[in-house]
Amino acid sequence: MWIYDPRTLSFLAVNDATVECYGYSREELLAMTVRQLHLPADMSAPLDVLLRSPVSAEQKGPWRHVRKDGAVIYVEVARSAVRVAGESACLVVATDVSEGKRFELLCRMLLDAIPSSVLLLDEDLRVVLANRNFLEKSQQTAGQTTGKRLAEVFPEVIIAEMGLERQVQNVFKDNQAMQGQRLTYRTPGVPIRVYYYSVVPVSWGVRVDYVLLLMDDVTEQMQMSEEIRQMERQLASVVESASDVVLSTDTQGNILTWNKAAQKTSGYPFEEVKGRPFFEYCDEAGIRSVFSRAVSGESSGMIECNLKTKDGKDHPVSWVLSQMTNDAGGTVGFVIVGRDLTERRKFEMQIQESQKLASLGVMARGIAHEIRTPLTIASSAAQFLTEENLTPEFHRECAEKVHRGIRKASAIIENLLRFAHPSTNKHKTPVDLPQVVKGAVSVIENQAKVQNVEVRTHLPPEPCLIRGVFGLLEQVFTNLFLNAINAMPYGGTLDVSAERDGGDLVVRVTDTGDGISPEDLGKIFDPFYTKAPPGKGTGLGLSICHSIVDQHKGSISVDSHSGKGSTFTVKLPLLSRTEEVMR
Amino acid sequence: MSLLNRVVLVVDDDPDVCWALEHLVEGLKAQCIRALDCQGALQAARQNRLALVLLDAKLPDIDGLELAGQIRRAAPGVPILLISGYFYKDDPAIQAALEQGLIYGFVEKPFSHTAIIAAMQTAFCSQVVASGR
Repeated sequence: MWIYDPRTLSFLAVNDATVECYGYSREELLAMTVRQLHLPADMSAPLDVLLRSPVSAEQKGPWRHVRKDGAVIYVEVARSAVRVAGESACLVVATDVSEGKRFELLCRMLLDAIPSSVLLLDEDLRVVLANRNFLEKSQQTAGQTTGKRLAEVFPEVIIAEMGLERQVQNVFKDNQAMQGQRLTYRTPGVPIRVYYYSVVPVSWGVRVDYVLLLMDDVTEQMQMSEEIRQMERQLASVVESASDVVLSTDTQGNILTWNKAAQKTSGYPFEEVKGRPFFEYCDEAGIRSVFSRAVSGESSGMIECNLKTKDGKDHPVSWVLSQMTNDAGGTVGFVIVGRDLTERRKFEMQIQESQKLASLGVMARGIAHEIRTPLTIASSAAQFLTEENLTPEFHRECAEKVHRGIRKASAIIENLLRFAHPSTNKHKTPVDLPQVVKGAVSVIENQAKVQNVEVRTHLPPEPCLIRGVFGLLEQVFTNLFLNAINAMPYGGTLDVSAERDGGDLVVRVTDTGDGISPEDLGKIFDPFYTKAPPGKGTGLGLSICHSIVDQHKGSISVDSHSGKGSTFTVKLPLLSRTEEVMR
Repeated sequence: MSLLNRVVLVVDDDPDVCWALEHLVEGLKAQCIRALDCQGALQAARQNRLALVLLDAKLPDIDGLELAGQIRRAAPGVPILLISGYFYKDDPAIQAALEQGLIYGFVEKPFSHTAIIAAMQTAFCSQVVASGR
């Protein structure tokens, strides 16, 4: 027991019990303030305010006090107002509760530290204890909760709908914990919270003295898992509604998923392809090489190969393969996206045909001149034949000229027809490339002649076979030759040479024209890029050459110097000896 | 007025066309000289007193209209008939050449003998009238 001055917080009087309890001498205590009895960690402005405030009957505590030897003791404190020498003072009666309270306090601290809401209920379903987490979540005070019945602590709706009271009663009766129920709890003015709760019996024997109602707030987890589910649904619907074929495989290439487009393009429902090797459904060699590249960590790039449909057809598809990796970076499978090229192929074919006709337009004058020359001879010779008194020699000569002129005109027309005729057969077969080049030369010969361009060819005498479409390849060279001729408006030389280079055949088309300026060089393979005046060129020729050469797994490049002419180089892979023998 | 014993130059790179024109010229009792290219044509124009030139529009080494200009400088006043399957009658290039007087006339291939003989005679007469010979 002690008396202190609430203004200075100095001790005014202390009794023997205080001296004995705290270990300080009376003199020492009278030289101290009451503040110094408190644990330094507990010292705060609110504590000072409390110590200086007018005395009320209210008991605060337990407090943590420090003895002279540094030991912490727990005390419960009762303050009352007294007057000392006419001045108001504070009489404090402190009771050391350390022994009894320490354990209870520890339990209390533990309960408050738990991030779950805990309610201890007695058999009457009254709250014996509510931890801090529960009070915070329910926005109630200990006073509003302790001693209240469960029905007063929770909203009526929850009690009724969840049958909470019954559940607690069952635990009292059965001494069996009840696990994992969901509870949606709404305090007015606070967003809905979702809890998982369990009811646990607390017993010291067969009799259940209390039950613990443990509630975990899972609102955030619920929201997160709902968001994840939504995201999963969205992703699944993106994949399902994609117009591209999207499938996934394990590392061995066995199919794991297969979207609607895959089903539609191939004709196979997922059930039929599930777990089957993807290689069974496409041109095996091509896709296997992409797989092995991807497995070894190389960029997979893009590959075009056919998808075999259920009805036995081949669909041209462009495939892109990407690795699926786990968090540790290990490959767990592959995602394969395929775009159906059927429509694009049709469109490309149409463009190729229309470009061919356009180049015929460009050649019209040359064609006219060349056909009219033999026609002139035939016509003239025929007119001579109508005259009288011809010598037999002249008569025969005239008849020969008529015949030869018609043959010549007919040959020119035949070449053109072959060129202009839509190539119905788009299947690649072994093709002798020098023959293709010769065919193209014969198509453009007339044009070269009228533009004073001399055509020189240096072609290997032996067959050089590649796998390709004759008509398309002829179109490539016709386009290149016409471009070269048009680059020489004042005449010049068109040099066409072909030679083997390893496994390729390299064809070089060189003109002695003006050359291509460096700024145009990068654009010449772009569609519709042309330097020709309107009506003289479509700007499609070189882009089509590029596309056709690409389809034949070859390459096309250009080397040009302004004022000196250009060389276009077409490189196409030759058939290997084995392929030649096999054919 | 006739082309009798006059010299007519035929310029065409196709020997068979030359053959036909040669027979037509000779049918008019004129003398025919043949040239297959630019150089031969200019040489013939310089070395002969030409009455008429029958010229193809496309030659291996030169454009016919350009050669027409050179022949005019080598043999001034000699009418030139352009005979071609490359151009058509209303062709702007032909119209321009006619307006400039670069050529006297144009005959489209294939031609009828009647038309080409008429064109040759008209061209020759006009030249005679113009030169006052």
